[in-house]
Amino acid sequence: MSAVEIIDPYDITAKSNNLGRRRRIQQLVSVVALLSALFAVLILALVLGTVLYKGLSQLSLDFLTKSSALFGEKGGIADALVGSAIIVAMSTLIAVPIAILVAIYIAEYAGPKAASFFRVMLDVLNGVPAIIVGIFIYGILVVGHGQSAIYGALALSILMIPMVARATQEVLELVPRHLREASLALGVPRWRTVYSIVLPTAIGGILTGVVIAVARVAGETAPLLFTSSIVTTQGVSVDVHQALATLPVRIFTLSESPSPDDQSAAWAAALILIAFVLVMNILAKYFAGRKRKSLEGI
Amino acid sequence: MRKALGLALVVATVVAIAAVVGAASAAPAKKQDTSISGAGSSFVFPLVSKWIPALGSAYGYNVSYSPIGSGGGIAAVTARTVDFGASDAPLSADQMAACKGCVQVPWALSATSTPYNLPGLNCVVRLTGPILADIYLGNTTKWNDASITKINPKCNMPDTKITPVYRSDNSGTSYNFTDYLSAVSGTWKSKYGPGVNQQWPTGVGAKGSSGVAGVISKTQGAIGYVDVAYAKANKLRFASIKNASGKFATPGLRGIKAAAATLPKKITGDGSLSIVNPKKGNPLAYPISTFTYVIVPTSSSKSAELRKMVYWAVTRGQTYGPPLLFQPLPLNVQAFAFRQIKQING
Amino acid sequence: MSTLTPDPAAPVAIERRGIRLGDLLFKGVAGVAALGVTAVLGFLTYKIFALAWPAMQKYGLSFIWTEAWNPNTNVYGALTFIYGTIVTSFIALLLATPLSIAIALFLTELAPRRLASPIATMVELLAAIPSVVLGLWGILVFGPWIANHLEPWLQSWFGFLPIFSGDPSQAGLLPAALVLTIMIIPITSAICRELFSRVPHDLTDGSLALGSTRWEAIRRVALPYAAPGISAAVLLGLGRAFGEAIAVTQVIGSGNAINRSLFPPGDTLASRIASTYQGASNNIEVQSLLYLGAILLVVSLITNVSAQAIVNRFQKARRMSTG
Repeated sequence: MSAVEIIDPYDITAKSNNLGRRRRIQQLVSVVALLSALFAVLILALVLGTVLYKGLSQLSLDFLTKSSALFGEKGGIADALVGSAIIVAMSTLIAVPIAILVAIYIAEYAGPKAASFFRVMLDVLNGVPAIIVGIFIYGILVVGHGQSAIYGALALSILMIPMVARATQEVLELVPRHLREASLALGVPRWRTVYSIVLPTAIGGILTGVVIAVARVAGETAPLLFTSSIVTTQGVSVDVHQALATLPVRIFTLSESPSPDDQSAAWAAALILIAFVLVMNILAKYFAGRKRKSLEGI
Repeated sequence: MRKALGLALVVATVVAIAAVVGAASAAPAKKQDTSISGAGSSFVFPLVSKWIPALGSAYGYNVSYSPIGSGGGIAAVTARTVDFGASDAPLSADQMAACKGCVQVPWALSATSTPYNLPGLNCVVRLTGPILADIYLGNTTKWNDASITKINPKCNMPDTKITPVYRSDNSGTSYNFTDYLSAVSGTWKSKYGPGVNQQWPTGVGAKGSSGVAGVISKTQGAIGYVDVAYAKANKLRFASIKNASGKFATPGLRGIKAAAATLPKKITGDGSLSIVNPKKGNPLAYPISTFTYVIVPTSSSKSAELRKMVYWAVTRGQTYGPPLLFQPLPLNVQAFAFRQIKQING
Repeated sequence: MSTLTPDPAAPVAIERRGIRLGDLLFKGVAGVAALGVTAVLGFLTYKIFALAWPAMQKYGLSFIWTEAWNPNTNVYGALTFIYGTIVTSFIALLLATPLSIAIALFLTELAPRRLASPIATMVELLAAIPSVVLGLWGILVFGPWIANHLEPWLQSWFGFLPIFSGDPSQAGLLPAALVLTIMIIPITSAICRELFSRVPHDLTDGSLALGSTRWEAIRRVALPYAAPGISAAVLLGLGRAFGEAIAVTQVIGSGNAINRSLFPPGDTLASRIASTYQGASNNIEVQSLLYLGAILLVVSLITNVSAQAIVNRFQKARRMSTG
């Protein structure tokens, strides 16, 4: 009997002599993977938990209805809330139609080379850092004309377009071909097919993309630093030709202050921003469910 | 169903666009009071905050101010993004030229304090200019360094690391502080000189007076330079600094007044007034005092309002200063200010 | 009689013209939109370089390896910030990649179905936290914890390494790198999850049938299969880390020098632009900041296009092999 048992590697019925060790490695890996996932969850809980704990106590009607204070006073974020709402709404209005049109072109009309080219363009635009977009808008618009909420919305829309366009394009390509072919066979013109049949089928996916983009862009600070940060009116303003106060820029300014009042205000403002982002994410999940249902039914 | 959804979407879009357009065109028309916008020095922000409601009730002006730092203020008024800029650092010749017809008016007087974070210390730390320079050069790194303990015999200086804190943005307070360091330290003058920003060799940078105060309050052993109103408001303890007469002065109203008294009776030139490190013979003078300026275009659509505002600031506005440790302008400086204001005639 | 029989050609011809017009218009408008977006990308790249051009002319390429940033004497160089960008981003990548792969594996292969979905949602939510909020948490909670607990611990165990030397600090390269890690994890793990869920089951099943453990199947089959995608995911995460300005500038301390240690303050390209652009006092300073921006843009574009190229080659190879 030889000291080392020779196992025929092709004999699959033979018991491997390091199975125990391999099983233990398997368990170790499982544990490591679990811990990694729990680590990510832990960080999320830490951040959200701190924001909730420190921000909730500061939330009051006063806080939500007063505007930024002068030195030494306690103020609120009403002006920032209104400013953010206006700017995000404007950028959505600008970006969504353009993005949908681009996606339609890529998915419905472009040849394979052109489609691939534009897809790459969108992905590259998506990868441009937000601060560079801010500098770009600053360089072409703010210089000489001053800051304004409109310029801020333009900067944010440049960030939104690739996100919405990519999501829309992917959903449009998921719409089954036979739907289009049936419509065209019936004599419906191409554009009508897209408008009345393909788009409505894809609406769930499109809305998912839009809502996710809105959530992303609502928290963007860098582009607004260059286009809408020097606020020239006290109190709540809706003048879009001027710079408006915004939630992310307000949080940024408050975060560096030493006064405990300012810091609590920062937490509370962060709480509101995160709450908005969370609601948008839940909405996105709802639309994604509708998208799945509408595409499955075909 | 789909038609209804589509119709609803179109209607919603039209309504939204109408609302935005309506807001856009309506807002500029609703100006009952005059809006004046300013930006710049965070140093003067505490005082300007007191002026804003007072100007509102005196003239009905709706003044807004963004404390983005002196550098930002100069940039903003040069680009005419705002109606006036505020800076603690006087404009250089290049900046004056770039501003295309601006005048600078000294409109407040205060001091840069050096707050520190040494909890539990039972005395007020004394420092000298050369020690401050060594701290910011990175040569003196511990609070119980021989040079510090020598002048603080009654203090039990701890063995804590010194973390110098500086302004990372272009700051007039930095200008004032480095102007002082250049006056008291040959090494600093040759290596760095006065300026709104530096390639600081060591320490931690923060944006704005509130940023620096913030880092100091969070970092044990930190020391920084902040205008004294911020230090007081955030309950930071600041050091007393040895002046050229050998006395340890504090940034109070007396010390600031004594420093400003060293200016000549008739002030000429473009108004850059440096009062750091007043020479021997002024025992009360606090050596890091500074004027701060408002920068106004000589001709603009709001010349009349700006004249009134700045005139009010250098007269009635000065009475709001003392509780915030802003010393009212001495008469010679006020007279100079009047002469500068006359140039705002748009 | 001819007036009663409709001319078969006429109405259809008119309809065809109408169809063609509508299609042409629609295609035209959509095409203009696509071209317009491309034009914006091109114009953006051009404008950044155009604005930075005076500084590029003045300093040339030596700007990239000059360690200086002195607004007082107007001597500028990018080395400190390139160093800071590379160090923080690569540390973030080093920490985030194995974590992301592990998380992706957990969610696709190793987790029970009930647990996978909520945990997946929570990892996605990590991506949804705005960077300014993460920075706020970094300044007020994470930074102090790093200075008071993590850095002393690292120094006591690994203090012989120069990167853990010096005094602990709340603001510095290490807090910035850790914040970036938190930001990259959701992006990279989401892509990895997509990749692992697309690995054809017959490949891993085959491995399992031959007697491998789950981990061995993953290691020998799924990971090599997904490797190109993982490298693309890593590149995308890197691109994100390079471009992050706000959260980094809140916790990095605006340092000016290159230090061997990770503890003292430093700065990155994006962060320096964010902190000093607004107050830049003269033209050459603004242009030098834009030069930093141009470098950042080039670096971001390269990482993104590389990620794209890997994905494309990967997809092409896959399509060819599966015929």
